Amino acid sequence: MKLVRSKGTGAISFNFTPMIDVVFNLLIFFVLTAQFMTLEIEDVILAPSLTGESRDYAEFRNVVINITNPDNPTIIVMGHPITYLELTDHLKNLRQSAANDGKKMNVILRADRKIPYGKVALAMLAAGGAEIEGMWLQVDISKVEKENLQAVR
Amino acid sequence: MQTLSPPTPRKIQPPLIPVIDVIFNLLIFFMLTPNVSAGDGYLTTNLPTNSGPVGGKPQDTTQFRLRITLQDVGPNGQIVEGKNEYCSIIVEDHDFGSNFDALQAFLDAKRQQGLPITTPILLAPTMGCYHEWVVRAFDAAVAARFTNIQFAVPYE
Repeated sequence: MKLVRSKGTGAISFNFTPMIDVVFNLLIFFVLTAQFMTLEIEDVILAPSLTGESRDYAEFRNVVINITNPDNPTIIVMGHPITYLELTDHLKNLRQSAANDGKKMNVILRADRKIPYGKVALAMLAAGGAEIEGMWLQVDISKVEKENLQAVR
Repeated sequence: MQTLSPPTPRKIQPPLIPVIDVIFNLLIFFMLTPNVSAGDGYLTTNLPTNSGPVGGKPQDTTQFRLRITLQDVGPNGQIVEGKNEYCSIIVEDHDFGSNFDALQAFLDAKRQQGLPITTPILLAPTMGCYHEWVVRAFDAAVAARFTNIQFAVPYE
């Protein structure tokens, strides 16, 4: 019996376009979601600042103390309202945990612009009580960035 | 006789997959990028490590050569009961009203007169002062190139 071997075209082409698309999708997703996981932020109107600087917080174990709602100021950490005394204990535990993992801890204070200083001072006291030596105040530098951009143009 | 029939319309199929891919890319990009902390900056400050509920002792404030007092006041500069919507800035014997530019000019002048930039500065706002004013006073001190700025907090 004679077998007839079918003749293919010989050229095998691999379609790269969908693969590149999928890789880009995954890349964008992981780059952007990684930032969300790092900072637990609440919706506040930040105080504008002329001297605030962008900083890389990726090297630290970050804790964001959000102080929201100027009419009834509330301290929120990791999505949960927290009292002053709880905050001190919480920060102590996190500092210990970061030290055990060989990481530096960084406290970011993110307060609404209209929050009375009394509440901000409580957060500072809590951090001081947890023996944290420094704190970053999160501010709005978009106005400065816009002015710089206009100056460049 | 041979007749010419009208040409049958070709079925055109545009490649939909790349279009969908690009749309998804754009969708993800525009959904996520507005929330990334673009436009947010940070001011770094030092905290006294012996403060707080377990710290115990008030700090010696005589080390601070400059004390910037922020007071929340009423529209005519008077202190009234409840919420005061205006700020009054006092450094040494100078009252700058709510003029943060004047505060910065004063601090600039101090530095030019020879006050070292490492001079400890105490920022002492009253409890009713808005956080925004505190940041502006901090800004003025940083803009005048001072590097050691601390906050006064209530002692329990």
